[in-house]
Amino acid sequence: MRLILATVALAALAACSGANNASISKNTTTTTTAVTAAPSPAPPGQVVKIGIDLPLSGGDASVGISTEQGALLAIDQAQKGMPHGFTLQGEALDDSVQGVHNPEQGVSNVRSFISDAAVLAVVGPYNSNVARAEIPVTNAAGLAQIGPSVVADNLTIGPEAAQLRRANPSWNTFFRVCTTDSRQGSALAQFARSLGFKRAYIIDDNETYGLDLADRFEKDFTNDGGTVLSRDHLAKNTQDFKSLLLKVLAAKPDVVFFGGVTSTGGGLIRKQMFSVGLGKVAYMGGDGLADLATVAAAQADGSYYTLAAPDAEKLPAAQAFIKAYRAKYNADIGPYSANAYAAAQVAADAIARAIRSAHGAVPARAAVVANVASTKLETPIGPISFDKYGDVTNPVLSLYGFKNGQSYFIRQIQLKL
Amino acid sequence: MHEFLAQLFNGIALGGIYALIALGYTMVYGIIGLINFAHGDVYTLGSFFALTILTALGVSGELHGVALIVDVAIALIGAALLCGIVGVLIERLAYRRLRNAPRLAPLITAIGISFILENVMQIWKGPAPVPFPAVVPNPSITIAGVAVGAQQFLLVGLAVVMMVALQLFIHNTRLGRAMRATAEDRDAAQLMGININKTIMLTFLIGSALAGVAGFVSGVYYQSTWFFNGFGAGLKAFTAAVLGGIGNIAGAMLGGFLIGIVESFATWKFGGQWSNVTVFAILILVLVFRPSGLLGEAVYERA
Repeated sequence: MRLILATVALAALAACSGANNASISKNTTTTTTAVTAAPSPAPPGQVVKIGIDLPLSGGDASVGISTEQGALLAIDQAQKGMPHGFTLQGEALDDSVQGVHNPEQGVSNVRSFISDAAVLAVVGPYNSNVARAEIPVTNAAGLAQIGPSVVADNLTIGPEAAQLRRANPSWNTFFRVCTTDSRQGSALAQFARSLGFKRAYIIDDNETYGLDLADRFEKDFTNDGGTVLSRDHLAKNTQDFKSLLLKVLAAKPDVVFFGGVTSTGGGLIRKQMFSVGLGKVAYMGGDGLADLATVAAAQADGSYYTLAAPDAEKLPAAQAFIKAYRAKYNADIGPYSANAYAAAQVAADAIARAIRSAHGAVPARAAVVANVASTKLETPIGPISFDKYGDVTNPVLSLYGFKNGQSYFIRQIQLKL
Repeated sequence: MHEFLAQLFNGIALGGIYALIALGYTMVYGIIGLINFAHGDVYTLGSFFALTILTALGVSGELHGVALIVDVAIALIGAALLCGIVGVLIERLAYRRLRNAPRLAPLITAIGISFILENVMQIWKGPAPVPFPAVVPNPSITIAGVAVGAQQFLLVGLAVVMMVALQLFIHNTRLGRAMRATAEDRDAAQLMGININKTIMLTFLIGSALAGVAGFVSGVYYQSTWFFNGFGAGLKAFTAAVLGGIGNIAGAMLGGFLIGIVESFATWKFGGQWSNVTVFAILILVLVFRPSGLLGEAVYERA
């Protein structure tokens, strides 16, 4: 009896949290086992949800929140396209623990989405190491997951990706609207060589994303005739990179390449480059450095980064989105707001189509997965469709630099597959 | 040789910050046998207070002349004082009632306070690292071909002065004697008429004020601060206190500088990802072979 009571209480709790406003984000530590959503005729006002898992507090919040807002805006606007009697809601959970994105917290968030039968797709996470932990869980549950910004190669391609899909090997449930690390690494290596840099010093943060990015840069930069002087990994939880940078100084590089994100050391490294006398040396990294200026301010000048997406500001298709975003949040879009918008758009579109083919019943999660896979959609970041691994068929990257502590667009790179 | 010296000076400066924080750990442990895990966050709080004071004074860049001395003094003393008050409040609210509880209880509240402080600071100044104005000019002099900045001297100088002052205070004043007596035997000290609560409060006041000083200098030195800095720095400073012999003031200082230098050299020789490994491997070795630390006396086990 006690057990039943506890279960009822838990269910009530889950229902309460489900009814929360979409923009409220919270950490949940409830771990519940997967419950499969059985199709049933929808009562009027049936709620279907898109789960959003992003780092919304701590050092990643500066990019996480603008990403969340992009997704929530898409969900708001998608309400119009939902079949009659259905309400689409976004439910955001925070995967930061102690200020840093955390894979275990991500898994716990995804489990709570899985246990909520109304959740038909997940947008997120932001970080590749979180995605590595989450994909096996969503795959086992057959829940569609669409990443706005996770760029590590091995999430979709190769034997490691197959390992992530081990629960349902023949069934891909993970998709992403951005391109990959290795493509960013290649683009950055080409760009570095085109600026005439010969000697690179590579530092990475020892995380999935940073390692991939740095590996690819190292390979392409060397193949392209450059010299990689040395490679170093960072320790976690430190604010002192001066001893590392003294070592870099002694190697006399033309460019310091950082594989990682601003919050894992990318920002402080740039700042401290100035205190050891490396201020005039160029600094380069992937999309993880998009928010570099929040830490380094004007010292970000002389740094370059790529985004694994087209520049939304430059795309005519994105202007309506940018206007709506400004109107709703009274803020400029973040580096991955447009991607998150597109990811949520893909999810909402797949859900709407699934409801229609289920003749107005709450669709099975599997139907949503199948619909995501067959997506053909115009989004603010261009037309989106997926290959069989869940990667976009139209990879576009943008290159940026910093001037007076502001980032500016340099050019767009269309990669050939 | 050049790089060796550059790394050595860098390590000493880094060690100065650890040493200042380690003093607070060691004092509190010495007197009530509590590892005050919130201490690292009080250090971060110090840099936040200093930043707030500097902003209120309208300081945003390098200062010179009288303004330099006055504004730095206000920020430094202000941060120390505010941290001291926070330390006393923490002791009053979270530790005093648990003084005679099993040791685990105050340890857990300390961790709880640490989380609370971190989250309050995150709400206060935001989740991302915050720029800190470079108030102290940093002209460098060259020692054996290596440029050493004025800030590095300031940092190390402050740490040494604080330690000497603390030593003198503890060994030459009535209050210092009361602290030592309380550390040795709380009940006996009370029977001798020492006000235990006041003495412990004083310990927290001084220890936290030193963390405030460390917060200020680290802000100036790194030109940035972050709500989560105290976690890593606090752990290393704690390691420094244990390495030097927890409860021993000179030991905390020695341990701080050693840890700073080891970290710097480990990064240089083995690479950044091995710096923490090296530091904590040394901690383990010291604890195995010399449990009381380098300068430590046998630790009193309280019932």
